[in-house]
Amino acid sequence: MKTFEEKWTAWIDGELTGAELAEFEASLPDKAAAEAEKRNAQKLGTFLKEHLPCHAMGNEEFFNHQLRQRMSEGETRARVPEPSGGGRVWWPIGRLVWVGATALAIFSVCTFFVMRESTPTDQSQYLSQILNARVDPAVSPNATISMFESKEDKVTVLWVEGLQSLPSEFASAK
Amino acid sequence: MKQRSILLIGIALVLMMGDAAAARASQVVWSGLVIANNVAQPTPVPAELTRMEGTLKELFGYNQFKVIGQSRKSVVTGSEDWLAQSKYFSLHVDSKEGSDKAGYLLNLKLFQEQSLLLETEAKLSKASPLIIKGPLVGDGQLILLLIVQ
Repeated sequence: MKTFEEKWTAWIDGELTGAELAEFEASLPDKAAAEAEKRNAQKLGTFLKEHLPCHAMGNEEFFNHQLRQRMSEGETRARVPEPSGGGRVWWPIGRLVWVGATALAIFSVCTFFVMRESTPTDQSQYLSQILNARVDPAVSPNATISMFESKEDKVTVLWVEGLQSLPSEFASAK
Repeated sequence: MKQRSILLIGIALVLMMGDAAAARASQVVWSGLVIANNVAQPTPVPAELTRMEGTLKELFGYNQFKVIGQSRKSVVTGSEDWLAQSKYFSLHVDSKEGSDKAGYLLNLKLFQEQSLLLETEAKLSKASPLIIKGPLVGDGQLILLLIVQ
């Protein structure tokens, strides 16, 4: 089924014949104006043919070669999919699932390490603890031992009284 | 694509485990023999004791604290031993099995030359220094300190 424009072009070129010609001419709203336009178009065609002759191409082979090469490159590019991103906005479901599982795994591993490094909840674990202590009764018969924790200062103290006092020379460093 | 993702996950895991191992390996236990006394012109406290200066002054009532022997030990495996020594005193520290993330299980022995003055077992927490009051020395006091740095 030809469009009106196609029929119009064919009519101006004198390519419509028979019933098709009669049908088209009957469909024209103003046949006289159309005939005038047809004559103008034909005159213009004749004028262009006379005054704009087609120049002969000097490097015809080279031009054809270039054209064929460009066309083959275009076909190749159309067959090969884009390597990255450009045309692919959405990831396929499989890749989304894979990326989600990966993120979840990384999050789990991070959580595991963070929880292992977290502060102990029990206060007794938080402060140092003295498990036992003793002095040699032969060396320090009057020694007494006590221990306490200072939660404010976060220190644990082993308090030993009664050890034998020593002269000041024992305060020497190495 | 899948191979690249596996490679990235592998790298991330290695980095995280490396961080955890580095954090564990970076634990240093400072052990010190400190003489505390009162003087008219006290010298500034050593850097290791700066954050405990107030606590020590309050506990013992002295205004000067001098380190006469010390040891700084990187504890990696948790089963190590080391020694902090002055001219006459030595503190033997033996880190025992049972050390965990909460602290180190230590056996401590204070010697005056060859004589064992005190022995104790303690769990040294990373956030809580251990202070041991030793014998009186001259006009001052011997104090043993263990701090996880």
